Amino acid sequence: MDATEVSVKRPTVSPFRASLTVAVKRVKSVWVQIYHSRSAMAGLVLLLFFAALAVAAPLLAHYPPLQAVPSSQCSTFTPPLTAYQLPCSQYPLGTNAASDDIYSQVIWGSQVSLIVGILSAIVASVVGTAVGLVSGYVGGWIDEVLMRFNDVILSIPWLVLMIVVAAKVGVVDLTGLVLVIGLTGWSVTARVIRSQVLSIKERMFVERAKMIGTPSWRILMRHIFPNAFPLIFANTILTVAVSILSEAVLSFLGLRPTSTVSWGRIISEAIDAQAVLNGNALWLIVPGLCIVFLVFGFYLFGYALDEILNPRLRRR
Amino acid sequence: MRRVLRIVTRRVINAVVTIFGILCFNYVLIHLMPGNPEANLAPHNPQYAGFLQDNIRTFGLDKPQWQQFLIYLQNTFTFNWGISYFYKSPVADKIIPALAWTLLLVGTSTIITIVIGMVIGSYAAVRRGKSFDFISTGVGIFLYGMPIFWLGLMLQLAFAKGSIFQQYFSWWPTFPLGGRIDEDPSFPPWAWDWTHISSVLTHLFLPALTLSLGTLAGVSLVMRSSLIDVMTEDFVLTAKAKGLSDRQVLRRHIFPSGLPPMVSLIALDLAFVVGGAYQVEWVFNYKGIGWLTIDAIDHLDFPMLQFIVVIGGVAIVLGNLISDFILLWLDPRIKIT
Repeated sequence: MDATEVSVKRPTVSPFRASLTVAVKRVKSVWVQIYHSRSAMAGLVLLLFFAALAVAAPLLAHYPPLQAVPSSQCSTFTPPLTAYQLPCSQYPLGTNAASDDIYSQVIWGSQVSLIVGILSAIVASVVGTAVGLVSGYVGGWIDEVLMRFNDVILSIPWLVLMIVVAAKVGVVDLTGLVLVIGLTGWSVTARVIRSQVLSIKERMFVERAKMIGTPSWRILMRHIFPNAFPLIFANTILTVAVSILSEAVLSFLGLRPTSTVSWGRIISEAIDAQAVLNGNALWLIVPGLCIVFLVFGFYLFGYALDEILNPRLRRR
Repeated sequence: MRRVLRIVTRRVINAVVTIFGILCFNYVLIHLMPGNPEANLAPHNPQYAGFLQDNIRTFGLDKPQWQQFLIYLQNTFTFNWGISYFYKSPVADKIIPALAWTLLLVGTSTIITIVIGMVIGSYAAVRRGKSFDFISTGVGIFLYGMPIFWLGLMLQLAFAKGSIFQQYFSWWPTFPLGGRIDEDPSFPPWAWDWTHISSVLTHLFLPALTLSLGTLAGVSLVMRSSLIDVMTEDFVLTAKAKGLSDRQVLRRHIFPSGLPPMVSLIALDLAFVVGGAYQVEWVFNYKGIGWLTIDAIDHLDFPMLQFIVVIGGVAIVLGNLISDFILLWLDPRIKIT
C-alpha cells in the first residue's frame, strides 16, 4: 500500500525569525504588565524626566558648568560681585565660589549621574553575573573560594572599600569613577545570581542537556544564562540606583574628578561655602532633591520590574 | 543536637575564615595605596622623627614582606597597633573609645529601626493593597533611596536654631548639630549624672534619627513581604476556618513563621547600616569609628587605616554570626548554606 503524500503547504519560518517573534511577544507582555503597574509607571515617568533633562541639558542650561558668569542686576553686593550671588531671576539658584551658575550645574549634573550610575551598574552586573554563574554552576572548591572572597568584600563596609579603592585608583576622570563604583559593587549581584543558578541547575532541561552530552559552557550560556537573565536585568536596574548613591557620596567626600560637576559635588561645595548661613539654602536642597528623585525612580521601576520578571517573587 | 553542633561549627569556621580574609585583604589594600608602604607607615618627616623608630620596630618594616604580614597579624590580636601620625598617640587609644560611641549610635538606631520597621511592615501586610500599605511602601522606598549624608544635612537644617519651622511654630525644638557631647570647656568632666546623660542624648538624637529614617525601609519592606508570603500558606486558611480572630491568626500563626527570614535579612542589611553610620558620623561631626576612618583616609594616616578598616568588617561578620545563631534558635530546621 502506497502511502499517499499529503502535501500541506506549511509556511517555513527560519529559526531566527521564530525566536525573534517569541522575544517580541515576551517584551510586549512585560510591557503590558509594566503599563498596569502604578509604581512601575511612576518610576518610568521620573526616569524619563531625568533622561530628558540630561539630553536637553545643552538647551536648558544657560552656561557651561564650569564658567564664571557676569554679575547680575540683582547682586546684593556693592560693588557687584560675581561669586556667592543669591538666587534671583538671572541665576535661579545663585552662583558659587568660582562664580559658576548653580542652576546650570544642576542641569549638567543629571548627565554625570546617569552616565556614571548606568555604566558602573553594567560593570558591576557583568562581573557579578560572571562570578555568580561560575560559582553556582561549577560548585566545589571554586564556589567555596569565590564565596568566601565575596563574604570578605561584603563585610568590609562598602563606603570604606570604595574610598580606599578610589584613593588608590585616583578618580581623575569619569572612567576611574565608574571602575571604582563598578568593581566594588558586584558582590550582592554575585550572591543573588548564584542562588538563582543553583535552583535552575536542578531543573529537568539542564539534566536532559547534560544527558545528551552538551558541554558545560554551552549549558551555561544557552540554558542557564537565558533563564537567569530577567533576574539579572531587574537587579541591574536596582544596582543603578545604588551606584548613583555611591557616586554622590564619593563626590560629597571629595573623591571626584575636577573637570566634571555632579550633584554630590554641588552639595559638598554648598557645605564648604556655608550656603545655609549665607541665605542660599536652595544651593543645598535642589541638587539633593535631584538625587533623591532619580534614585526613587530607579528603585520604583526596579522593584516593580523585579516582581513582573521574576514570577517566583510575584504576589500570589 | 549533633546537627546543630555541626552547623554552629561550620558557621564559626566561616566567620573566622572571613575575618582572616578581611585582614589579608586590608593588608593588601593598604600596601596598594599610593606611595611606598614602608615610607607611608613611617614617613621620614622631621615632624614625626620621634615615632619613626618606634613604628619601624612595631610593624617590622625592616623585615621581608611575609614577616611583616605575620607581624601585622600578631599586632592585630595583641592590640599593639602602633602610633598614629596625625594624632601622635597610640592608635588603640583612639579607636577603642570611638568604637564605644559608634556602638551607642548604631545600637540605638538599629533598635528603633527594627521596632518601628516591624510595626509598620506588619500593619502594611495586614492592610495589603489599602492606602496605608501604598503610602508606607512609597515613603519607605523614598527614604531608602535618599543619600544618608543629605538626609542628615536636611535634618540639621530643620532643627537648627532659627530654622524655618521655628519661625512659624514657637514650640519647634532645636538640637545640637554636631559632636557627641557638650564640648564647652566650662562643661564639667564626665560623670554619671543627668547633665551629662541628657547632653549625650540630645547630641545623639539627630544622628540616630537620620540613620533610622534612612534604613527603616530595609526592615519594613522585608517584614511586609515576608508576612505576605506566609499569609498565602494553607495553615493560615485553616486557622481562619477554625474561627480564630484575625489578631490571633497573626500572633500565633503568621508571626512565628514570618520572623525567621527577617532575622537573616536584617543581618544582611547590617553592612548598609554601617555604611550609613559612616556618613552620619561625618556629617554630624560625631567622632566615632566612621568619622575617624574618613579622617584617617583624608590624612593618609596609615597606622590608623591598617586597623580601623578591619573593625567595621569584623563588626559585620560578628553581627551576621549572631543572627545565624538567633535564626538557628528560632527555627532549628534551617539548612546549611
